[in-house]
Formats: sequence, structure tokens, C-alpha cells
Amino acid sequence: MIRHAAYRRRWRPTRYLLAAMIGAALFLVVVLSSVASFAIGPLPLRATLFGLPGVGFIGAATFFGLRALHDQQATIRVRDATRAVALFVAGMFLWLAVLDVYTFTGEAGPGVASLCAIACLPTTAIGLLVVRRFDRNEKEPWRLVLVAALWGAIVSTSLVVWAESLWDLLFTATLVPGPAADTAAAYSAGIFEELAKGAALVLLYLVMRDEIDDVVDGIVYGAAVGLGFNFMESVAYMTHQYAILAPEGLGFVGAIGQWYFRQVIGLFLGHATFTALIGAGIGIARQMPRLRQRVLAIACGFLAAIAAHFAWDAWQAFVLVGSSPTQLLLANARYVVVIGPFAAVVLLLLVMGQRVEGNALRRQLQVEAATGLGAVLTDEVAVLMSPWQRFRARLAALGRGGLRGYLRLAQLQTAQLHLAMERWHRERREIDQPLAAEEALRGHVLELR
Amino acid sequence: MIETHDDLRPLYRVMLALALVAVLILASGFALLLKFAPPGQSSGYRAQVSGVYLYDSGSGTISGSPMTRFHRTELFAAQVEWEKLPPEMLVSARWTDSLDDEVGATEPTPAPAGSLAREKGLVPVRTSREFHANLPGEYTLTVVRYARGQPVELLASARVTVLRDP
Repeated sequence: MIRHAAYRRRWRPTRYLLAAMIGAALFLVVVLSSVASFAIGPLPLRATLFGLPGVGFIGAATFFGLRALHDQQATIRVRDATRAVALFVAGMFLWLAVLDVYTFTGEAGPGVASLCAIACLPTTAIGLLVVRRFDRNEKEPWRLVLVAALWGAIVSTSLVVWAESLWDLLFTATLVPGPAADTAAAYSAGIFEELAKGAALVLLYLVMRDEIDDVVDGIVYGAAVGLGFNFMESVAYMTHQYAILAPEGLGFVGAIGQWYFRQVIGLFLGHATFTALIGAGIGIARQMPRLRQRVLAIACGFLAAIAAHFAWDAWQAFVLVGSSPTQLLLANARYVVVIGPFAAVVLLLLVMGQRVEGNALRRQLQVEAATGLGAVLTDEVAVLMSPWQRFRARLAALGRGGLRGYLRLAQLQTAQLHLAMERWHRERREIDQPLAAEEALRGHVLELR
Repeated sequence: MIETHDDLRPLYRVMLALALVAVLILASGFALLLKFAPPGQSSGYRAQVSGVYLYDSGSGTISGSPMTRFHRTELFAAQVEWEKLPPEMLVSARWTDSLDDEVGATEPTPAPAGSLAREKGLVPVRTSREFHANLPGEYTLTVVRYARGQPVELLASARVTVLRDP
């Protein structure tokens, strides 16, 4: 059966090696930049002491967590998952120590920082819910969507702090204030923030390639990383505004203003859009047959995200900042005018991807039904291809068999769509697993019937 | 070539087109950077900020020794040694607060360094009319040189902190 594996050359270990090298390189960058930052002086020792091991722990937790998802033996899976949780908690603690004790609470106090975080949680959760629903046919597992968001919130933000501080000190601060310095700062934000967020997606693509099926999944994970980053950045800006304006009794007004711009109008029109562009490039690369095309698609995604982010930040130089009605209108319009076109391209790619995916899954389900093996029946195809009809079928199952019946049918539908997706990738020769994996999936579907 | 029913080329082409637009955006940004910070503009001069002092707006004078931290209600001004620059050089200095709003500048802007030197060389911070006192946070002073009507070179900068407590 192994002989029938889709790829003649089984290159998964190469991807893992590449992922390990990128992870090590990222860590090295953080080490070097934090040492340089400390030597030059823009960051206090506390940030380096707590932040650096924090990044290391989160990186290690991600490794063990992802390995746990792939482990076949239950004992090894539990061991890896336990390690991942322990490392994650340690990393979170250390990073939050920097964030809360130094970055935020030092200015606004822990109570305000907590309130800001609580205010951003529901909007970010809604964002993740919406983004996950982009994938109409095969929703991504929550655990991976949350890993992506957490990476964006914790690891990407910490990578950026050091890089942007150094850029500001060595470059932006030497330029004439105004458009030149604003443009330099916009390059910094575009390049470093998108590279830091995109690193998460590249690692996910290399380590968990089978979870990123196509451009739709790439957009979902990209937007999730962006939403996580946006969450942490919102808390930072809200507490910063609060700390500055609180002595004048305007602290909460400033924080609420930031919340509105970053968590309401900028929830999707911001980091989510930028990183979704990187995700789209990676998703397309996932299905490109040649290495050159794959590399080019990923590079295009990064370029688009960096340019979109740069355009957003650079335009600040030409928009008056203030609180008059015209200026507030301009501030709102800026989201639509600058990020709107990029968001429209993301939606276009999403719709095109959904169409390709939908056609492919329908075809695979029909072929599977025609085999007569019983995993998919002919009259199930139309139901499986419509999220609404799937939901109606589950409701009917709820009426017949209660919650148990609902959940069982949900599992069955998911497994059938997994099988169709597996067949699609195998047809395109873009899957690592041997044919035995497809047969195991089919067996799982039959068990669920 | 893989035999498949799907055509992913349109998706791929959209990404390529998007990258082309991205390159144009980034290139136009670089052009903007060159316009406002043209290379080869270094005059070789550096302005000296001798310090930031407590400031009496009534008499227009400074007092005490240079400081880097002020309370919100304390007015302060930077003393720039304009006389060390060529008198005809067009320059200006401005303060920005922690929200990046301008809170004080030399007047008129720009002005010859010689004329600023005759006026004590002070650059005071002015509390915004919207607020009771200076906002807390970092304040940055920048001294720039002008050419052809636009700022082209950063001659000096200084930073002070305004404390949160009154």
C-alpha cells in the first residue's frame, strides 16, 4: 500500500527540518536583537529577562503541541500534549510578566490592562468565529485556529517589539520628523510585523501541511494569526491612551476610541486582512505542482501583506489627527479606502477558492459514491455540499435521536468531507500519507454509520 | 503536469497581479522617502541642545540645572545653541508630546539660525488649551534644517519625560 503513496519522494522530513531551521533562526533573531536592544538601551533588562525565555517556551510548546496532534500512540500523544501545556503556561506567564508588569501596567495599572483585555476578548472571539466559517465545507479544528491566534498574540508581537525598537533607534530616529520618518516607520511596521505573523503560517504550512488544504484554509489561518496580533496590539494601544489621558479625566474615552477603531471597524480591516494575504499565498502554494511556483506564491503573499500594511501606516502622514467630525469621518474612511481594496482581494480569493474546493469535493463525493463502498451514498452528495442542508440534516437527526444523534451525524458528515478532501489531494498528488490513510478514513466513515 | 479537473491558475495569477501592485506601492513609498529625506543633504553641522530647563512663561526665562523629568504642571524649555550654526542656515525646532502632537516650536518656522540665536535660543513647551497641564509621557525635541522650503536634515534631538503624578 505504501507503494501507492501519492508522492514518489516522501519529503515530509525535509519540511520538518526546514521548519526546525526557521524556528531556530527566529529564535536566534530574537536573541541577537534583544541583546542589541539591551546593549543600546531602548528596552529594559526586564523585557529581555522575561520575554526571551517566554518566546522560547511558546516555540517549544508549539512544537510539542503540533507533534501531539500527529502522534499515533495515545501514550506519546498525552506526553507531548502535557509538555506542550506546561511549556505554554510557563511561556504565557513569562510573557505576561513583561506585558502586564512592564509594558502595560507600568503605565495604566493591572486593573485597566485587564479591563482592556476583557473588552477585546468578545470582539476577537467573534472575529475568529466568522473567519472559521469562511471554510464552508471543512471547518478547521478550533485547536489549530486558536494556536494560530495565540502565536499572533504572543510570539509575533514579541518578535516585533525588539525589531521595531532597533529600526526606530537606528533609522527612523535619524530622519527628519514628518513624512520621511512616518514612511520609514511604515516600512518597519509592514516588514517586521508581517514577517513575524507570516512566520507562524510558514511554520504551520511546513509542520501541519495536511491541515492547510487550499487557499481557503490559508486565509482562515492567516486571518486568525492577524486577529491574535490585533488583540494584543489593541490592549497595548488602549492602555497607552488611557495612561496618557487619565490625568485629564479622559482615560476611558481614549481607551474606548482605540477599542472602536481596532476592535470594531479595524477588526477585519487591519491585521486580519494583511495576514490573510500571506495565508492566501501559502494556501495557493500548497497546491502548486512546482517548487518555483510555490516559492513565488508565498513571496507574493508576503509582498502583498507588507505593501498593504505599509500603505495603511504611511497614509497616517497625510491624515490630520484630531477629534472634529470631519477628522473622525476621515479616520473611518481611511480603513475603507486604504484596506478596503486589499480586503476585497482577500474576499475574491476566498470566493474563487471556495468555488474550486466546492467543485472538487462534489466530484470526489460523486466518485466515492459511485464506488459503492458505502462511505458516501449518491443522495448524500447534495446534502454534504451545502452547509445549510447539512445543518438541516443534523437538526432532523436531533429530532430523531437527540443530541447524540446530532453529534453523530455531525461527525459522519465531517469524516465524509475529510475523505473527499483526501481523495482530492491524492488525485492532485499533493499528499504525504499512503493510500492506507484513505482506507482508514473510509473505515472510520463506515464505523460512524 | 498533474492531470486534474481543477484550474488553480486564476488564483495564482491574482496573487502575481497583487504582488505587482505591492511592488508599485512599496516603490512609491521609497520615492516618497527620497523626496522628504533626499540623500546627500548632510551639511556636516550638528545643533547642540545644551539642556531642558524649568521655564517661566511670564519672564520668558529658564532656571535651575538641566533636567530630564518634569511634573505635569511644570513648564519647561530647551536651550539650543543656535550660534554654533551658520547664521544664514534656515532651521526650526519643535516639541512633540506622547501623542505625537506638536506642543511648541520656534517662530517663525523656519528661521535663520542667526535670528534665533539673538532671541535666547529657547524652545518652550506650551500646554494645549484642551488640557489643564502637560500630558504625561515622552516629549521629543527635534531640530531640523530646511532647504527649498522643506525640512531636509535632522540636526539634533532630545527627549524628556513628563511624569504622571502632578
